[in-house]
Amino acid sequence: MIELKNIEKYYANKGVKSYILRHVTTSIKQGEFVSIMGPSGAGKSTLLNILGMLEEPTYGQYEFMGEDVVSLNERKRIELYRNHIGFVFQAYHLIDEMTVAENIEAPLLYKKVPGSERKSRVADILDRFNMVAKSDLFPNQLSGGQQQLVGIARALVAQPSIILADEPTGNLQSTQALQIMDLFKKLNEEEGITIVQVTHSEVNAAYGSRILHLLDGVIKEDVVVQQTV
Amino acid sequence: MFKLNLKIALRNLWKYKGYTFINIAGLSIGLAACLLIFIFLRYQLSFDKGYENNDRIYRVVSSWTYPGENEFYSKGVPRPLAAAVRNDFPQAEQVAAVQESGGIIKVAATTTRPEVKEASNVYYIEPQFFDIIKIKWLEGEPRKALSVPNTVTLSKKTADKYFGKWQDAVGKNIRFSNRLDLKVTGVFEDFPDNSSFPFNVVISYLTYKDESLNSWQSVSSSSECYVLLKKGADASALKAPVLKLIDKYYEKGSVGKEHHYFQPLSDIHYNEKFSNFNNKVMPEGQIIGLIVIGSFLLLTACINFINLATAQAVSRSKEVGIRKVMGSRRKQLVWQFLSETALITVIALLIASVLTELALPGMRNLFSGDISFSLFGHPVIFVFMTLLVLVVSFLAGFYPAMIVSGFSPALAIKNKISAANAGAIGLRRALVVIQFAITSVLIVGTLVVINQMSYMRAKSLGFDTNAIALVDVPSDSLSQLKFNTLKEKILHINGVKAVSFSNAAPSSNNNNTSSFKYNSTKDENFQLSVKSTDRDYINTFSLKLIAGRTLSKTDTLKETIVNETLLKKLNISNPNEILGKFIETQGRKMPVVGVVKDFNNFSLHDKIEPTALFSYKGVYNLMAVKMEPGQLLQAMKAIESDWNGTFPDYVYNSSFMDDQISSFYETERVMSVLFKVFAGVVIFISFIGLFGLISFIATQRTKEIAIRKVLGASTAELIRMLNSSFLWMVLIANLIAWPVSYIFVSKWLQGFEYRAPLSVWPFMIAMLLSIVITLITVSLRSYKAASTNPIDALKYE
Repeated sequence: MIELKNIEKYYANKGVKSYILRHVTTSIKQGEFVSIMGPSGAGKSTLLNILGMLEEPTYGQYEFMGEDVVSLNERKRIELYRNHIGFVFQAYHLIDEMTVAENIEAPLLYKKVPGSERKSRVADILDRFNMVAKSDLFPNQLSGGQQQLVGIARALVAQPSIILADEPTGNLQSTQALQIMDLFKKLNEEEGITIVQVTHSEVNAAYGSRILHLLDGVIKEDVVVQQTV
Repeated sequence: MFKLNLKIALRNLWKYKGYTFINIAGLSIGLAACLLIFIFLRYQLSFDKGYENNDRIYRVVSSWTYPGENEFYSKGVPRPLAAAVRNDFPQAEQVAAVQESGGIIKVAATTTRPEVKEASNVYYIEPQFFDIIKIKWLEGEPRKALSVPNTVTLSKKTADKYFGKWQDAVGKNIRFSNRLDLKVTGVFEDFPDNSSFPFNVVISYLTYKDESLNSWQSVSSSSECYVLLKKGADASALKAPVLKLIDKYYEKGSVGKEHHYFQPLSDIHYNEKFSNFNNKVMPEGQIIGLIVIGSFLLLTACINFINLATAQAVSRSKEVGIRKVMGSRRKQLVWQFLSETALITVIALLIASVLTELALPGMRNLFSGDISFSLFGHPVIFVFMTLLVLVVSFLAGFYPAMIVSGFSPALAIKNKISAANAGAIGLRRALVVIQFAITSVLIVGTLVVINQMSYMRAKSLGFDTNAIALVDVPSDSLSQLKFNTLKEKILHINGVKAVSFSNAAPSSNNNNTSSFKYNSTKDENFQLSVKSTDRDYINTFSLKLIAGRTLSKTDTLKETIVNETLLKKLNISNPNEILGKFIETQGRKMPVVGVVKDFNNFSLHDKIEPTALFSYKGVYNLMAVKMEPGQLLQAMKAIESDWNGTFPDYVYNSSFMDDQISSFYETERVMSVLFKVFAGVVIFISFIGLFGLISFIATQRTKEIAIRKVLGASTAELIRMLNSSFLWMVLIANLIAWPVSYIFVSKWLQGFEYRAPLSVWPFMIAMLLSIVITLITVSLRSYKAASTNPIDALKYE
């Protein structure tokens, strides 16, 4: 599903290049649950942003579902966002002025899903996440864990083939974090959604099927996780 | 500390160059407009000030009330009135009659300078006038200089002009109207430009001869009377003595009811009803209008400032946090931000001063007044500028300063201040709605004024105005003898189609009205407008006869032509019915020989009056020449040389009918220029204000925009989303603006008897225009917001 070849990312400042990513080559297949780990400044988030096409690599090749996306124009990129990619953020990034239901509905609006179907899909997801009672609340009326649930629900409602999560549990207490991880695992196993997450936590990484260890912009290790949990 | 703050302020201005630029641009244009208005108003309000006993000086004016008609006003009084007031009013300390007249002035050549020959206004003035209005006399004194007939006194500049040096003037002679030799007996300091007394050639009143000198029945607006009341005399207590005076001197039983008022000197420049010798009147309504426009401009400029400053506030939050942690008190921060605003205002004011200086010649042209931007000549301008800086700094700076200084330091340092903390968005929206409402009102006003102007240009006045020259002719009896030969000569010029003598063009400000009798021994209860014309008047101006014939060739009041309006007023439906009936006016009984289709005898401000035309050579002072448009230039040259050959002692003066007519609408022209300029300025300022608001909103919604983008919103969709809320605001602003501007323009249009129909178009266009402006501004800024990389907004620290 994702093919990265020789991805480089650096910022040139007064002729000095400071590298964020070097020679990153890897591929992620449909249905994998990949965790990207590494110390601060290793380039984890940058890699995820490149995967999500939020940043462009300075150099290298990136194919998403068989399509070269490095030089993709905005319209095509937005098409991919609408149909294939769901984002989950550490800071949830819900729209404060919208209720839970409206937040979840937003991507469907952009996907031009007809009104009745929108309603039923939002209702479905609320039901699945046990949040029907909260559908009319605003984000600031929810706890962090609940907000992140809404964030995930919003990512899922458009039925993406891949979810990109940047430290999805970074702002949460451990019990809530475990709940989210369980949810990811379930989505990955039951619905076959590809998940790529950036995380600091070994525990979280253990939920995945594969771990990429990043150090100073280079992939140091690429290990398959033995399912113990 | 102050120095540091100043340094930081300057650095901040430099850092946010874009904001600084639009802030200063908007503010300086607003300030320049305010300065211009202030300078103009200062000049207008300085009229007739600074004379000794200012508050005791009055002008006596007249009014007549006709049954069923409105009151009719004149600044003139019957000529014997001055003497009567002097006699009957113990309250009056000094009374003086002033009579305006004009003629050719000749000063014989000497070895050192050529002959002077010019047409000039002259004033016959009683010496007492200079006890009322005290000015400096350079030579002679008024009591002596003007106490005998055939003496003249000159203003300094006129004496310089006539005799080279004013010191040489006294004792010399000037010739007036080719018949009177006047001896110069005094020279006085020039009346200032901002005075209602354009007196340059002052002849002793005893020189004045007129058949109506003792008549209470005839009033000319050229005969004024000035009074200096005794100390402690109450002008409002003069009603009873005035009534007594009217009772004593006026003939009983006339149709128009006479009355006289004491008009204070301070009112003369501002009262439209009466005007003055200078013909410069600044009605109070216009002064208030300008003040309102000026305040609006200042308000819109301040609104911008608030919008832009609060939009920018977020980027200053960290500085505020750190300053607070370092121990700065809120008050100090408020002062810091206020002084930054003051700095911007001062910079804007400097630019505004340059703009003002640049715009001043145009303004001088527009108002033909001697206005200047002189700080030293008029220190009050400097005071105004200082006040302007203080007021604008406070109005524009206080709210943003309160907001910014109110940030919680903990949040500010963590960069957790989002635009949501930076003050209520509702207030900003309301401010922008106000701006747009003001803009729409001005756009509607501009469109309506322009529409009315072109309507008046296109509207037929009922006669031909094209290629007609109006040439002044002398009206003394000697010159009258030459009229026929002049006419013959001019008719032979190539391209001249018709020539006519009269006392006024069909449309003219110079209308005489008179009471009259129709088939009865009693005066009708309305006035008749009378014009003295020869028989060629009808074909020169292409007036249309709908019954009867033109006047026969005669020099005296023998027969008359009337207009349709008179028939309507007399309830005559068939124009042929009036032919042969008699009209008695000016002491003569004349048969009606023709009926002419209505033409506008005033400007389009006024209704067509019942009018009668008849021949009376004694008052002809105007020669109208109808020409082939193609041969205008050569014909005009030939006319001038023939005229000069016929009247060598007089000065040729001509104008075109078309120009005369446009001069009726001078106020409207000034108005439309003002409207266009100020509408442009306000549109520009609101454009900037809108830009400020959309910048603010874009900053505030950066995160939301980024999220939406990541969720799959396209740039176009985001721009549309940001635009929609603004379009609502524009709609609301227009809804507010419509009734307001409707009231304004319909009131203004009421000043015209003939007005263009008020359609919905100006309102629609104003709305469309503001929508287009909004779309452009909002799209420009929101495109930037929508096309930035969402990751910049979504990254966390």
